[in-house]
Amino acid sequence: MAQLRQWRSALLTRRQVLLRLAGGSLALLLPVSARAQLAEADSWRLIDALQQRLLPSEPDRPDAPGAKEINALAYLQWVVADAKLDAEERAFLLRGAGWLEDLCLQRLGRGFVSLSPAEQDQMLSEVAQSAAGENWINSHLSYLLEALLSDPIYGGNRAEQGWRWLGHRPGFPRPNRDTCYRAG
Amino acid sequence: MAQDFDVCVIGSGAGGGPVAWSLSQAGYSVLVLEKGPWLRDADFAKDELACCRRSHYTPNLRDEQHVLEDADGQGGWRALPSRESGRDFWNGNLVGGSSNLMSGFFHRMKPKDFRLLSEYGPIEGANLADWPISYADLEPYFTRIESLVGVSGQARPHSQLEPRSTADFPLPPTAEHPVANWIDQTCEQLGLTPVRVARAILPQPYQGRHVCSYSGYCGSYGCNTGAKGSARVAFIEPALASGRCQLRPNSQVRRLISDAQGRVREAEYLDAQGQLQRVSAKLFVVACQAIESARLLLASPGPAHQQGLGNHSGQLGRNLLFSAGGAGGGYFTYAKLDEARQAQLRVLGPFVNRALQHWYEIQDPAFAPGLAKGGTIEFLMAHPNAIPLARSAASQDGKPLWGLPLKRKLERWFSEDRKLSFEVFNDWLPTDDCFVSLDPAVKDKWGMAVARVRLGAHPRDLQVGRYLAEQGERVLKAMGADWVSSSVSAAPPPNLVAGGCRFGSDPAHSVLDPDCRVWGAENLFVTDASFMPTGGSVPYTWTIYANALRVAERIAEQLAKPV
Repeated sequence: MAQLRQWRSALLTRRQVLLRLAGGSLALLLPVSARAQLAEADSWRLIDALQQRLLPSEPDRPDAPGAKEINALAYLQWVVADAKLDAEERAFLLRGAGWLEDLCLQRLGRGFVSLSPAEQDQMLSEVAQSAAGENWINSHLSYLLEALLSDPIYGGNRAEQGWRWLGHRPGFPRPNRDTCYRAG
Repeated sequence: MAQDFDVCVIGSGAGGGPVAWSLSQAGYSVLVLEKGPWLRDADFAKDELACCRRSHYTPNLRDEQHVLEDADGQGGWRALPSRESGRDFWNGNLVGGSSNLMSGFFHRMKPKDFRLLSEYGPIEGANLADWPISYADLEPYFTRIESLVGVSGQARPHSQLEPRSTADFPLPPTAEHPVANWIDQTCEQLGLTPVRVARAILPQPYQGRHVCSYSGYCGSYGCNTGAKGSARVAFIEPALASGRCQLRPNSQVRRLISDAQGRVREAEYLDAQGQLQRVSAKLFVVACQAIESARLLLASPGPAHQQGLGNHSGQLGRNLLFSAGGAGGGYFTYAKLDEARQAQLRVLGPFVNRALQHWYEIQDPAFAPGLAKGGTIEFLMAHPNAIPLARSAASQDGKPLWGLPLKRKLERWFSEDRKLSFEVFNDWLPTDDCFVSLDPAVKDKWGMAVARVRLGAHPRDLQVGRYLAEQGERVLKAMGADWVSSSVSAAPPPNLVAGGCRFGSDPAHSVLDPDCRVWGAENLFVTDASFMPTGGSVPYTWTIYANALRVAERIAEQLAKPV
């Protein structure tokens, strides 16, 4: 129990770091330029590509699913649609896409989606050098791993592929539509 | 004027449940007001997301939070609202309270724990006080709780076994994890006698509750079978069956209204529809868990209680306690074990049920001259939740890790080994730097001041915690574990909280009298862990249950007296 508390607190205190960086408001955190204002559909297209880079599919390893196989994008869309999620966290998750896109255009003259995997890694490594950028990647990793290992009722972990891959044994009874966490 | 109820109990957890049960059994009409929802056994699934990654059993911090003060390292204090820090200090706002989510390690306090000041002497900077009652006063209630809750275990002799009025527990131990034998074997080699830990978990059907399903997901999760002896299944639901107890969930008490004589007349609360209601009773019981109980009393001044209910001494909210200590563990690598032991290590479900209390008192000149108070080392398999394990894997040298390197690391981390953990419980010494007050600025969404909690720890807490953690590490290393480590921190775990309304014989230095009646408010009692002047070196639940049952008898005596 104490250990779980620590994990949860480690997850949540990320917000504290972000706030300090941003001088109190997460909305101020990301540099906003005209070019970085992506349409929402374009943000999601970039985040789809980001997730597939963070957890890539492996055609020769069908047992080891990637973001695409586990339905990570739909999972994240459910996460950000939850009214109980902090509005600033939601904005941070999505607006970072514009930030990354801006960096890719400046450095390589092409958007993130059209980069090769090696180029994407290069851009992500550069993003990870700032505390805010590192936190943005870590936030997406957190939700991606939730998508991999939470109950399929929440939209990720399609056909329990995440559990089967890592040999994870869930507890019973599993959540059903009456007992599961309900997004607000 | 006739009151609506004989007794109004505020809070349905470990402190409120036994009182509601006992008084409704005795024939009194009881109303229980609970801020959270009423979830039944069938509402609890083994759902990692709901349990441990979202605020499913606790309020949204946007609606209600705390302001937490930490030492700033320069002799001052830095206050941060928990919504901003993300440091969630809620435990379980639901019928039965956080006892629904406990691991159910059941330990009695030891006789000397009631007399910490007299037994071990004063410690500079610590507000030590003996309890106004002794172990012998509480022993009959510890024993009754064993039968009422269905405590399972085996009272085998060890140096710290507390005196018992019955030979053994009413129920045999739960099924045990094979690693318990590994611990026993190593401890025998080291000359240590492990405690076979009693659990508030049913190994067989009992009083209409089902046996444990050994799902492997117990602590932090609600129980689906009724095997875990939460206040909800052991007390509240049986109280409701008496027909004399009424439960109003989703009802948050905002303040208690008292008269010129200091007696509480009414509780004002918001009902499930958000409407302001008032209810009257002959007698009121506050049991909202220590921080919120102090907050409610501080928020309820009256004509005879100018500084808050029961705060004549200025002691209300002070000497708040947590459990000091920390956690540690080591990894057993499958590849290093023979097939039989590999199979043993893979078992998921049964409980380890082993602790060491060999250092409950420390007699080690290298640590302290004479006899010093130590604590408990509790062993358990590392929590089976998958997401935090994966999340820790997604980091390398402090930087995020992704791509194929992350996938290969996940495969290793989920298959190569299994962690045996331990938790250390030792006294959180009461000090002037650990207390609850009302925040002057931050309100909850209903406009009430939130609790501000100063979280100062006494340096001795860390010294004892580290000493115990070293002993835990020594046992794991002797068992052949790899990567043995531990972490002892001054940051308290919010799930073990007590004090704030300490009981005592002198109204100048306590909030409650020895019966847990608020000084100056003859019909108001506090029955959660708030009463404890010192907390012992074990989890609190059994002590809260036992004391609440004791106080319920005093309340029944008071109600039986002609007015």
